[in-house]
Amino acid sequence: MTDVLMAILVAGFTSGALYALATVGLSLVWGSMGMLNMAHAAMLTLGGYVAFTVITSLGLPIALGFAGAIVAGAVAGAILYFAIVRNLLKNDKSTFEANVMIATVGIGIALENAILLTYGGQPLKQPVSIAGTFRLGPLTLPWQNLMIIAVVVVMMVVVSLALGRTRMGRAIRATAQNRDAAQLMGVAVNRVYLQVLMLSGALAGICGVMVSSMTQLSPPLGNDPMLKAFIMCVVAGLGNLPGAVAAALGLALLESFVQYALGARWGFPSLLFVVIAVLIWRPSGLFGRAEIRRM
Amino acid sequence: MTETRPMSRSSMSRSAKTDLAISLVLIAAAIALPFMVDSRYILGQIVLALFYATIASQWNLLFGFSGIFSLAQMAIFAFGGYATAMFCFYFGWNVWAALVPGALGAVLFSLVVGLACLRLTGVYVALLTLAIAQTMYLLIVTDTECFVMVGSVCRQFTGGAVGFARFGDLGTRALLRAQWLVGNYAIIAVLFALTMVFTYAIVKSPIGLAFRALKDNPGYAVARGVNRFQAQLLVFGISAFFTGLAGGFYAAHFQAIGPGVLSMSQLMFIIAIVVVGGVGTFWGPLVGTVVLVLADELMRESGEFRTLGLGLIIALSVVLMPKGLVGRFGDLVHWLARRRASPDSNTAVSNIVQSPAPAGK
Repeated sequence: MTDVLMAILVAGFTSGALYALATVGLSLVWGSMGMLNMAHAAMLTLGGYVAFTVITSLGLPIALGFAGAIVAGAVAGAILYFAIVRNLLKNDKSTFEANVMIATVGIGIALENAILLTYGGQPLKQPVSIAGTFRLGPLTLPWQNLMIIAVVVVMMVVVSLALGRTRMGRAIRATAQNRDAAQLMGVAVNRVYLQVLMLSGALAGICGVMVSSMTQLSPPLGNDPMLKAFIMCVVAGLGNLPGAVAAALGLALLESFVQYALGARWGFPSLLFVVIAVLIWRPSGLFGRAEIRRM
Repeated sequence: MTETRPMSRSSMSRSAKTDLAISLVLIAAAIALPFMVDSRYILGQIVLALFYATIASQWNLLFGFSGIFSLAQMAIFAFGGYATAMFCFYFGWNVWAALVPGALGAVLFSLVVGLACLRLTGVYVALLTLAIAQTMYLLIVTDTECFVMVGSVCRQFTGGAVGFARFGDLGTRALLRAQWLVGNYAIIAVLFALTMVFTYAIVKSPIGLAFRALKDNPGYAVARGVNRFQAQLLVFGISAFFTGLAGGFYAAHFQAIGPGVLSMSQLMFIIAIVVVGGVGTFWGPLVGTVVLVLADELMRESGEFRTLGLGLIIALSVVLMPKGLVGRFGDLVHWLARRRASPDSNTAVSNIVQSPAPAGK
């Protein structure tokens, strides 16, 4: 019994950590710019494939694979900013929310398809993996899962330090609180947007490497984590980072329990029921700020 | 706020006259079409395009006119198709008898989705509806439990990954034999025409104005006495009826329905149609369908680059022409009109094109 419980917990925490990383990337962009990045899934996939290329095809060490994924994600974020976001911001503000969502949907499909054309559809094995298990008394923990959790925790610390302690982070938070006021105080809002998209892209890149190390590399790799990250964002309230992490862990644990108890196919629907229940009770999420709209 | 100037009080405004003229030309073209097109393949693609246009026009009603960014459109379409197929498959109904109940099932489903989204706005609606559509897809694809035995083959309740096939057709094969495709074309064309007429009536009616008011400035609309809950449920229900009906006809036309219609790429194609044609314009979905189906056929030559091209088209058209082709055309007409400095620059297209809402959000 403890074995089963332990397995569920380990699986839950691992996927929770992965979802948290994907959720934070999404939530960061939403919180600071009011933009839902539908291309996040493709950026995740991109990170996984770049790491694969760097490690397998170029034969470079794993650390450089991670670096490659981070750089690729950040570059993708920058391209997204220059090609799409900057142009859409010039238009009327009220249309930005919907337009950017549609445009990133298009970019997401194009990127996923470009990856499919480059690497082919057959699943590839992500070389970033550690075999073996770690024994702690009666518990058996796979190194792979421990590594993922460790990397995610490190990333979370890095993100929270970057947001809390640096000048850039202060500018991002100021923009998130009130874009116009931040701009009037001399914050270069457009540069903040670029930075946020690059940061989110880098997080997506790492997340992609981790997700693919648990399963396999395939072009639709990012879709499943992103869909779940969406749900977690909704439950937590978009734009709330600690809430996003908490929701990700909680829902991932719930998912793995449900998958164990009712079978794998009910995992996702159970998450959906939780979301609907939460939204009926609190329409802007558990931790989301209720928006006050001025007419 | 829309640019719609108070429609001229005369018996028929200029925009209505233009719309009527466009419709008459289209009807004439639709009747002439089967006599001009010999190729079965082309006629088949045109029927498919009519389905796309029907779904897109209803999504446009939901998003373009009412501002509800629902990603469950294909799920509602699939629901209609599945319901029709299942009525025929399990109860042995005639397809024609099953179509309306199937559409009503889709309405019911859509109302449930609408209820779940009732208190949400903007992206939250998109996220929730996407999750609902994906859940439906996953539950159908992973359905392996035997429900009935057909011969020696086990059938799942939802048809599983295979879906339903051979549950009946529209009866055109028996009636018209070799010309059955023309018969199906006529049926689907009538369906599309009815959908457009109904959509027009809705858009121009007080209900349509309420939808638009809620989209442009929810707070103000509610303050002026528009019932948001009622209007939102209404638009979910109305748009679902024709979407579901189209789903039923789709299943009957192809004599098959499977989880493939729920795939992301199908949904994206519908969104692309509306975006390229012009969000919130009456003729936008039709223009978008023509352009995108043509582009799709051209890209078929280059085979694998189809999806890539489609994605780029979506992104580029949002960036370059936020109001779509119809909107751009409206700008052009407007500009020409202003150049001529005619006092009345009110044209059909600019009348239904919306300028960005100045306030609210």
